[in-house]
Amino acid sequence: MGRYGKRPEGLIDLAAEAAGLALEGIGRKAIDLLVVGTMLSHGPYGPEAFLPRLAGRLSLETAAGLRVESASGTGGMTFHAAAMALESGRYERALVVAAEKMTDQPTAVITKELSASLHTSEVATGATMPALAALVTERYLQRHGLSTAVIDLASTHARAMGALNPSAHFFQKPATLGEVESSRPVALPLRLLHCSAISDGATALVLERGAGPATVLGLGQGMDALRLVDRVELSTFVATRLAAKRAYESAHLTRKEVDLAEVHDAFSPFGMIHIEDLGICGPGEGPAWFEKGHAELNGRVPVNPSGGVVGRGHPIAASGLAEVAEVALQLRGEAGRHSIGRRPKVGLAQAMSGIGSHNFVTILGREAP
Amino acid sequence: MSAPSELLELFRCGSCQVSYLPTDGPCPHCGATARERHTVPALGTVLAATELLSPATGWPSPHRLALVELPGSVRLLAIVEGELPSVGAVVSVRRDGAIYRAGSEPAAAGIERGEGESPRVGATDPSFEPPR
Ligand SMILES: [Zn+2]
Repeated sequence: MGRYGKRPEGLIDLAAEAAGLALEGIGRKAIDLLVVGTMLSHGPYGPEAFLPRLAGRLSLETAAGLRVESASGTGGMTFHAAAMALESGRYERALVVAAEKMTDQPTAVITKELSASLHTSEVATGATMPALAALVTERYLQRHGLSTAVIDLASTHARAMGALNPSAHFFQKPATLGEVESSRPVALPLRLLHCSAISDGATALVLERGAGPATVLGLGQGMDALRLVDRVELSTFVATRLAAKRAYESAHLTRKEVDLAEVHDAFSPFGMIHIEDLGICGPGEGPAWFEKGHAELNGRVPVNPSGGVVGRGHPIAASGLAEVAEVALQLRGEAGRHSIGRRPKVGLAQAMSGIGSHNFVTILGREAP
Repeated sequence: MSAPSELLELFRCGSCQVSYLPTDGPCPHCGATARERHTVPALGTVLAATELLSPATGWPSPHRLALVELPGSVRLLAIVEGELPSVGAVVSVRRDGAIYRAGSEPAAAGIERGEGESPRVGATDPSFEPPR
């Protein structure tokens, strides 16, 4: 994957760079399917033009193409689309690319564009993505009787991990608890350092039929009501639990066999909620998982060794694919300084759309399926 | 600020009997279109509240929002007028065009909770089952 952060390049340049890295040693001739995703629509081209523009840049016009979109879950969806297409037997080798260009726009423009993935009745009250995330966080803390301070741990963890990842927005930029708790309030209890950063970036990977050092073992999706007030659960994500259940079933694995997890912490407390929804720890035990060091590189089940969305930066569509790519790197023993202590056999990536309306769980393993 | 005697209009689904906020669309729970109108006291319990200090364009800073539960477990997102209410507080709710507004409700005594949940909704929610 290319570096995430504030980049001078445009969307297609970022995507082409990541694609070039993924194609090293493989070459574009072998690719018969190009699956792409991007969400935002500012600029002269909309997301509709992304596939033909990128195919042209990569000279992949002879391949079949798919463009999918699922807000911040887009990257997860691109991977699932590619895996399903290969599974159909119709294609041999897919290049999967997810990218977003954000830093060329003022924050207000990005906030408005991101609101397109929320319910219009929520936007009508002046709700933003961080506002809804704050309400979920508040419910979560209330439900388990946790203090607001526990969410700061998730941010320092994300930044500590991101600091080790040369591709991350916050490479070599850890954050202290003091910096988190004194950062600018955004939507209380969420402060700036609980929120993922607006970032440019692209991730690409090649997926082919057969088994190898990083093989797809299981896929699962889950959906939930778009509008928060229509949900049964307000303090946890039913869409993740559903996706996880289906992924574990399709992989014939249980949560106990997962050696590492990359989860979609668009807001750092979500990292705690996600590992509970995935069954990595019990309800309300997320903060303790971080506090006791279980989430660290040498922990029981390391969480977000890439830095996660908060540590890596959040080019919206790309994040979900970066999660899968990180798990693959860890399985292949190619994660460099952010390699987890014990080389994993099974890793799980979880991506989330919007505020949890459509979530994706991908389980990869070293073993042949 | 509305008096406690004020009422709020809701729909009750003709198929699944669940109450929901008035909408042009079908029942958000089962998709049925048959429904009847009914009213409930315009008082609700705050499930969560937030104060935005980086609101969207066109909104004042700070901008306050609350998730409120009405009797019958109907939930809504409301703009808070005045101070940020604490979780569990009772607020008055009024409809203002397409949105809802919540204000502090000093005459909070006597709110009926119907079959609704306690303010700590999730704590007893039977649907929570982590994957095995
Ligand atoms: Zn119904």
